Amino acid sequence: MLKINWFSPLPPARSGIAHYAMQVLPVLAGRHEVILWTDQDQVAPEVHQIARVARYDPAAPPWRELNNGTVSIYHLGNHPDFHGGIWRVSAQQPGMVVLHDLCLQDFFFMLSVHYGKDRAGYLAAMERWYGEEGRQAGEAFCAGGISAESMALKFPLTREAVRGALGVVTHSSRALEELHETPACPVAALDFPYAAAEESRYRAWVAARSATPSPPYRLVVFGYLARNRRLGALLEALAAIGERTQFRLDICGELWDEGQVRTQIERLGLNSLVNLHGFLPADQVEQKLSTAHLAINLRYPSMGEASLSQLQFWDYGLPTLVTRTGWYTSLPEEAVAFVRPEHEVADIQAHLRAFLTDPGAFRAMGERGRRSLIQNDTGRYVDAMAQFASAALRESPRVAALALARRVGNDLTKWLHPDAGPYVLERASREIFTVSEGH
Amino acid sequence: MKILIATSTVPFIRGGAEILADNLRDALAAAGHEAELVSIPFKHYPPDRIPDHMLACRLLDLTETCGVRIDRVIGLKFPAYLVPHPNKVIWLLHQHRTAYELWDHPAAGDLIHCATGPVVREAIRQADRELIPEAKAIYTLSRNVSGRLCRYSGIDSEPLYNPPSNASLFYKGSPGDYFFFPSRINSVKRQWLVIRAIAVCRERVRVRFAGEPDNPAQQAECVNTVRELKLSDRVEWLGVVSEEQKRDLYANSLAVIFPPVDEDYGYITLEAMLSSKPVITCADSGGPLEFVVDRETGLVADPSPESLAQAMDALWTDRRCAAAMGDAGCARYQDLNISWANVVEKLLC
Amino acid sequence: MAQSRGLRILIATVRVPFVNGGAELHAEGLRRALADAGHQAEIVAMPFKWYPPERILDQMLACRLLDLSETVGVPVDRLIALKFPAYLIPHPRKVIWVLHQHRQAYDLWRNPLDDLSSYAHGADVRTAIHRADTELIPQARHVFANSQNVARRLKTYCGVDAAPLYHPPPDAGRFYTRPAEDFLYFPSRINPLKRQELVLEALPQTRLPVRVCFSGPADGSVFERKCTELASQSGFANRVQSLGAVSDEEKRDLYARSLGVLFPPVDEDYGYVTLEAMLAHKPVITCRDSGGPLEFVAHRETGLVAEPKPEALAAAMDELWEDRERAAQWGAAGRQRYDDLRISWSYVTERLLQ
Repeated sequence: MLKINWFSPLPPARSGIAHYAMQVLPVLAGRHEVILWTDQDQVAPEVHQIARVARYDPAAPPWRELNNGTVSIYHLGNHPDFHGGIWRVSAQQPGMVVLHDLCLQDFFFMLSVHYGKDRAGYLAAMERWYGEEGRQAGEAFCAGGISAESMALKFPLTREAVRGALGVVTHSSRALEELHETPACPVAALDFPYAAAEESRYRAWVAARSATPSPPYRLVVFGYLARNRRLGALLEALAAIGERTQFRLDICGELWDEGQVRTQIERLGLNSLVNLHGFLPADQVEQKLSTAHLAINLRYPSMGEASLSQLQFWDYGLPTLVTRTGWYTSLPEEAVAFVRPEHEVADIQAHLRAFLTDPGAFRAMGERGRRSLIQNDTGRYVDAMAQFASAALRESPRVAALALARRVGNDLTKWLHPDAGPYVLERASREIFTVSEGH
Repeated sequence: MKILIATSTVPFIRGGAEILADNLRDALAAAGHEAELVSIPFKHYPPDRIPDHMLACRLLDLTETCGVRIDRVIGLKFPAYLVPHPNKVIWLLHQHRTAYELWDHPAAGDLIHCATGPVVREAIRQADRELIPEAKAIYTLSRNVSGRLCRYSGIDSEPLYNPPSNASLFYKGSPGDYFFFPSRINSVKRQWLVIRAIAVCRERVRVRFAGEPDNPAQQAECVNTVRELKLSDRVEWLGVVSEEQKRDLYANSLAVIFPPVDEDYGYITLEAMLSSKPVITCADSGGPLEFVVDRETGLVADPSPESLAQAMDALWTDRRCAAAMGDAGCARYQDLNISWANVVEKLLC
Repeated sequence: MAQSRGLRILIATVRVPFVNGGAELHAEGLRRALADAGHQAEIVAMPFKWYPPERILDQMLACRLLDLSETVGVPVDRLIALKFPAYLIPHPRKVIWVLHQHRQAYDLWRNPLDDLSSYAHGADVRTAIHRADTELIPQARHVFANSQNVARRLKTYCGVDAAPLYHPPPDAGRFYTRPAEDFLYFPSRINPLKRQELVLEALPQTRLPVRVCFSGPADGSVFERKCTELASQSGFANRVQSLGAVSDEEKRDLYARSLGVLFPPVDEDYGYVTLEAMLAHKPVITCRDSGGPLEFVAHRETGLVAEPKPEALAAAMDELWEDRERAAQWGAAGRQRYDDLRISWSYVTERLLQ
């Protein structure tokens, strides 16, 4: 049994990770001793039912209390408000880092430059991982010369986030390798935890779906809808097929640019087919999902992170259109319908037509998605995470060794002539190793 | 033989370990060997600099001097005992205690207050586990230290007792009206506990403290407590006293009181026994318990002011018993064969 | 500038186990002087083994890893570092008083006595020592040198400026003078750098029956044997007395009774012998390439500076032997010069703690 210091956003924080935490924590707290550390002003009452909640000040973390625990688990994502404090603690005390977003360029920029007025720190990080090129790009970005998107793609800064970590958890296998951001510590890719709804509830949803007269078939899009959610392509595709009136599209969630979307809907003459719902409360989400026929979950570019909403669609037995990129490429072919990034509109249209031809095939696809959720069982996830944390803890001598090596290396640059370099570095490394790991 | 004694020191602090190292050197010289101290300065804070000092010790070469072999290195303290040598013997005075049993001690724990504490603790434990066994033989200061070494690092060792300095000069005087507590003043030695005990005593006991604080603030705290509890007429702070004065103070005391937390060894106990004085100590005091036999050569109290006060009252009122216990303590010392000759023989065989 | 009193001072030096020499006495002398001036001073002595050369690098790194800035929460006000590699120990308020650098990497490189160039990696280590000295010595707040000679080497090889700071030999107050007797005195360790050999070669070339008395332990038997052979071969063995190691009292007595002191080493860092002679009111014969002594011996005022050749040395020895009165005058002048140079521990303390 482990004593876990858990750092994540918690309800009422409007973060998918808070939701994830509420799925995982009841199971985790049932098997291990957990303290929930937060710097939020408020934490919802139901959280206190699950485990003890303790406050910390990111500027002065209570090390003595934290050091009573066996291991700290830090959840990092791209939102500086939710993860800034967590990252600050993780940077000072090695622990296990769970990456919910793999691209953290924006996170570090906002945290350092925008909030912290620490431009030097940001540029140092850019140089640390990307060399002179990185530093120059960082400077250009600060001056406003490069787009955030291209910065994110080229310089994800994931390694900065996991710099001293004992271990890293992602929910997407090979994602870090593909990003060329493999850290020095062990990495575990776990299936994203998802507690599927009970069978009885699922059957109720299926019944609700069947009871809804169709056509028209209900298409649904959910979540925080940034540009990479490909709404534009979806609307274009829908508008251009003859059978469009057989579909209705519900767009549920915050839009990055509502005005632009409305304009496009108007221009394409889709007013009668498309509804903008904004952010919906849970009961209305249930209503929409249980009566939808096809979910559209396109993302491009994707930084490889897992999609909780995809698991939710499967929970409801919804067939889904997904972009063949990042995490989605690992999804079973028979449980989703792939859209190629370079042929978006054409592929969307092909799938819509295929749906009309054989809605049953798509219904079956949704059911297979539902069944695949067994892998995402929360209990399995918690056990895998705890096991990995224990293994990562055994790595901790390496952390001290690396820190020592860094200090030694730093000092050596001040006075060691390169001719003597090979000997001293080898000798110092050998002794650092001996001291940390033995013979 | 040419022998180097490798120890770690904190500049400007001279305590039991420094005295022991000097005594060991003198004993080796008396036995006809050439012995010198190698004192490597050690600053144990901030914690993440501890590995630096460990590495520094590993980089030293004590195998030879000017073409002449150094026959043996005797390592005494962390991290000096990590120094490599083909013929090393460790006489472990103690490991780095805040990485072990003092990790979460309310006063002494220091690593626990730091972000890098756990990592450094692991690093220290790993180094001890892997490198102490490099030695040809491992001795320790006491059963207490051996116990810890076994419990935490899984390493077997043999306790090797040594006499206090000038053991033959201690004597039994005439028991006077005070308890004597000679020691460095800090929270681990627990002068504060004795002060609180005096406040609870039935009898008008008096205690004379000798020794200086590691850090001025530590004594200031004690002095404040004495003032708050209005015990200024019952407590005397002698500061640093000469060795001769110290022996006199032992000799003329009623009893010695020495209740540290988990002391490694405790010369004070032995000095008291050599002076034929009973010792009041605590159940969690460690080293002293290897020598004090409860109700025969002294009293073992619980580490609470009340229990300690009870012990103090008991000896204060029954002087005859105190004297008898003191004599028993002296006899016990003789039985234990604590001598430098024995130490030298063991360390060099 | 805050009053320099009651400071906590660490003296960082180097120790070769079981070897006791001038460096230990120097550090102890400094420690006592600082204590006398009301400060708390302790010596930190790092063990040093300089062979094989790679070990030097290990020990340089070891010194860099130490933290002497504080003890138990109380700052160490000064670190006064005396020798390589101890003077590489980092400290925010470091004063370096270079007794000497690692000479085998500098002026003794490729010297038959040097043991660095004969190793495979000797050259790399030498370069590394140069670099470290050059980069790190200037990080000290103040840099002093044992003598102008040492300061000159530091400037030549490393471009570092250092102020010469002289110190008294051990037991300076115990030297005294007596009327001169018939011998010249050469106290020193017997080794090629001190050049006892040169004096033995000069002896046969003297006009007058100059007698020389040597004292001091031999650093290795080879050179000692060479000297003994030289003495007997020349046929002047009866004019040579070789006492070996003598006690400090005996040494002071020999100084006091000598006519003058011979001290012609090669490029000596400093040279207690010169100062001891001056303290004993005796003139000194030294050589043009002797280094340290030249900072104290004023030619024809407190002694003679000769070419490092047997015939020149012989002429100097004759000169002293011939005119006893002038020798005594030069000796007295030497004593005065000692005082004029402010060679005292209190002055040292003042400079180091400015």
